[in-house]
Amino acid sequence: MATTVAAPPRYAVPHTRYERGLWSWLATVDHKKVGQLYLYTALAFFLIGGLEALIIREQLKGPNGSLVSAETYNQLFTMHGTTMIFLVIMPLGAAFFNYLIPLQIGARDVAFPRLNAFSYWVFLLGALFMNAGWLFGAAPDGGWFAYTPLTTRQFSPGLNIDFWVIGLQILGLSSLAAGFNFITTIINLRAPGMHFMRMPIFTWMSFVTQFLLVLAFPIITVAVTFLMLDRFFGTNFYAITAGADPLLWQHLFWLFGHPEVYILILPAFGLVSEVLPVFSRKPLFGYPVMVYSGILIGFLGFGVWAHHMFAVGMGPIADSVFGVTTMLIAIPTGVKIFNWLATMHGGSLRFTTAMLFAIGLIALFTIGGISGIMHSSPPADLQQTDTYFIVAHFHYVLFGGSMMGIFAGTYFFFPKITGRLLDERLGKIHFWLTFIGMNLTFFPMHFMGLNGMPRRIYQYQANQGWDLENLVATWGARMLAVAVLVFIWNFIKSRRSGAIAGRDPWGAATVEWSLPSPPPEYNYAVIPTITSRYPLWDVTSPELTADVPHTPEGEKRTDISVGGKGTHASFKAPSDTHMAAETAHPSAKELGIAMPTPTLKPLMASIGLTIMFIGLILKHSVNYGSLWLPVLIGGAAFFVISLYSWLLSPLEPQHD
Amino acid sequence: MTSHYRTRRLAIAALTAVIVAGLAACSTTVPNTTLEPRTEFGRAIDQLWDNLLFWGTIVFVLVETFLIYVILRFRRREGQPAPRHVHGNTTLEIAWTLAPAVILAIIAVPTVKTIFDTQRPAPANALTVEVIGHQWWWEFRYPEYGVVTANELYLPVGRTANFALQTQDVLHSFWVPQLGGKRDLITNRTNHIWFTPESTAVWNGVCVEYCGTSHANMRFKTFVVTAEQFEAWVNHQKSGPATASSAPAATGAQADTAAAPPTAQTPPAQTSGQLPTYAADRLPLYAASYNPVPEALTIGNVVGDAARGAQIYRTAPCIACHVIQGVSAGIVGPNLTHIGSRTSLGAGLFPNDARHLALWIKNSPAMKPGSKMPAFGKSAAVPAGYDDQQLADLAAYLLSLK
Repeated sequence: MATTVAAPPRYAVPHTRYERGLWSWLATVDHKKVGQLYLYTALAFFLIGGLEALIIREQLKGPNGSLVSAETYNQLFTMHGTTMIFLVIMPLGAAFFNYLIPLQIGARDVAFPRLNAFSYWVFLLGALFMNAGWLFGAAPDGGWFAYTPLTTRQFSPGLNIDFWVIGLQILGLSSLAAGFNFITTIINLRAPGMHFMRMPIFTWMSFVTQFLLVLAFPIITVAVTFLMLDRFFGTNFYAITAGADPLLWQHLFWLFGHPEVYILILPAFGLVSEVLPVFSRKPLFGYPVMVYSGILIGFLGFGVWAHHMFAVGMGPIADSVFGVTTMLIAIPTGVKIFNWLATMHGGSLRFTTAMLFAIGLIALFTIGGISGIMHSSPPADLQQTDTYFIVAHFHYVLFGGSMMGIFAGTYFFFPKITGRLLDERLGKIHFWLTFIGMNLTFFPMHFMGLNGMPRRIYQYQANQGWDLENLVATWGARMLAVAVLVFIWNFIKSRRSGAIAGRDPWGAATVEWSLPSPPPEYNYAVIPTITSRYPLWDVTSPELTADVPHTPEGEKRTDISVGGKGTHASFKAPSDTHMAAETAHPSAKELGIAMPTPTLKPLMASIGLTIMFIGLILKHSVNYGSLWLPVLIGGAAFFVISLYSWLLSPLEPQHD
Repeated sequence: MTSHYRTRRLAIAALTAVIVAGLAACSTTVPNTTLEPRTEFGRAIDQLWDNLLFWGTIVFVLVETFLIYVILRFRRREGQPAPRHVHGNTTLEIAWTLAPAVILAIIAVPTVKTIFDTQRPAPANALTVEVIGHQWWWEFRYPEYGVVTANELYLPVGRTANFALQTQDVLHSFWVPQLGGKRDLITNRTNHIWFTPESTAVWNGVCVEYCGTSHANMRFKTFVVTAEQFEAWVNHQKSGPATASSAPAATGAQADTAAAPPTAQTPPAQTSGQLPTYAADRLPLYAASYNPVPEALTIGNVVGDAARGAQIYRTAPCIACHVIQGVSAGIVGPNLTHIGSRTSLGAGLFPNDARHLALWIKNSPAMKPGSKMPAFGKSAAVPAGYDDQQLADLAAYLLSLK
């Protein structure tokens, strides 16, 4: 295991070039570097997905918009949804899982560091594959839900859907590998004393999310494999001419698709549950209930899928059952909101940008939750489904919820990741532009939907009563675009020259803040022993945690050193004098800590895998069709060889 | 302190903007609203909606008010004592688990009742209408009367209409917002939905399940008429096509009426002349069709002759796909027996006049992306296509099929 403290091993690292520069990123197996790769990649796709959204809004600014054609519009809304879900919010979650889970549980890395690197590279190549359709003017155009039979070869003969089907397969591999990795990590690598009921709430919500990932992704994998076999090898899973029932796809897709919603929102819930207590200076209200409600949401999330299908005519019994289970899921979700409010109540609130975004999540997710209840009632849903009311609803959930939470987490954890603080003034501008722009964009969509405007239309006529709302929404989207630019500017500027953060700029409670910022490669020189849910507050502000259960007196306890003493009682802009950047750490080698060595093999394996899939998509290419089998076999061979080479080379430096 | 004040002012400004946007949204006319139902089905849904909106508003106001109160009341102040250390309260937590459960029960009971009420089998005397979805147009069949039409649905007021929904290709979804909820058209299945229109009117209908390129262009109109008007319409539809008179129709006459949306509201809901159908010029504004034609697609100002058009039609490729009762028997495209009496073209996209019809035959894919009907006008790509005069003749013939 990566966490052994052994006698200094003999180091024979052959590739010193892996220690810095581009190679250090390509060959990394360090969870912190992988986490950053996820972060930067997902932010890049956030810009792409946002640009797609902006074009959509410009097209719909007024009646009979003619900025893009019907075909392009269909590709844009398909790729906007696919991108934001699979290439932005999920990998942003993965960025935080990667960076934070080992730190929060007091570990030195994830359980399978190379598999972790493999997950990232597969994700990156899958994301590029998914977007490669743009280069050929054939981006996916079947919607992110890709309903059959529209997406079968009969009705979509082009390469568009091929890019989607294969891209999603690749991305699914990444998510599954990561899911198993984090489950193993959380179960096995917790520091001494880090009982399950002491885990930071972000790690808890991530833990639940990983189970959703490993249970939900096999379902979409099966569904997409059927479609792939249909499209490439002429099977008849979805072939309507062979009598297929189109509802097969819908059931499989939403049986994945609804847990997917919780995969997108639970990490954000976890992030704000970290942020709110720190800036309220109160422990999280009802920690056990927060944990149980997260688990319950995860369970119930598998029993509500058909609420996406109330219009397909499932009959009154199925409609009733799925309507009621959907309503039930509101209870644990509501409990979370009330517990956050109770955490703030009676606290000493400090409105940092992270706190503003966390509060933004409470305010906006509540709206998304309430509109969700409105279409949990199947007859009411028959008027709302496939209209802009639904678009409004899930943007309040995913933008108002997930993205707000992720921004809160970004402002909160940026100093831990980079050693520098994001600029608070720009941060507040970013928050207010986002908050106002978000409401301007999505609130009018409730009215559009109730006034009969369908989704996924590239044009509408005048005099339908939709003009004003669409214009307002477009201005809101423009405002959001400015907000994103402010954020990117803040990110770049603060990365380079932001205020030095020190170990614990916020007066936080969890153990990762005892580390230098950024933490050294091995995270913890000595694995800490955890005695309560709030180990740092036990040291810095014991009055805050007097009520919280602790390890009984007399049990062994290792002191946790906290940098920047005296900075916890009140928030001050950190000054360089007491919070100098800690750049000089003893190396793992000097401390005798065995860390996994960098290696290119996960990257090579993922490249082999991608070449294999490129071979498959060539099968229906006009010009290169004859090459498909050689490319596929070549890619597969490269994949297998890379895997063997990966498995045969030792993870850590040789001890002898 | 000033920055706090500024923050608060910003928050108020944001809230005001949202409310203004909301109110502005309410004050426009909303011809496709879901909130003014005109059937028993729609009203049942609307009652649920009122219930949902009521409880939703209460929860919204409570949560957001409490949030704002907490933000204002517990802002960190100088010299403030450390917060009381509360890490939970079992009673409170049970209370706010039970309270939503009670509200949800209040919502769930009428919901389940409504589900079973609205999904009973339709009354025995209901008018059966078969709805068949095509990429991207609607076929309506009235088996009771042997009537087949496209994109314009006639319903008698006060009689339950029971829709049997099928699709020829991909999934579609049938929706007329004022008449109640939507129902998907599922390949290899027949779905049902039924309701009873309660007042005469013209309503827009749309496809609401994404069905490919021209999903946005798969519209239809619903004319709810009196029982007498409906009977007259049925009799008219059952009769054969009008014989082609030599009524001329000029392609240039309506040259630019369609470029800009009509601005005046014409009196709604009357049939015109002897025809028991709606006249296009009497459609309410929201139901008029006036999408712009691409600038590249033009036709000279020629006067078409219906008799010549009838001659052309008999040997034209049109007959492979279209029915004109007694003339042609294709089944792929819309039935054209009474096309001259319809108000719109291309599934609710264009006014059904000589110019648009001639342009449509000339190059329908240019007017409707993905249109399955090939371009038949003479062009570099189709050298054997029809010239403008022939197109105008065909248009004149089709328009004469009242």
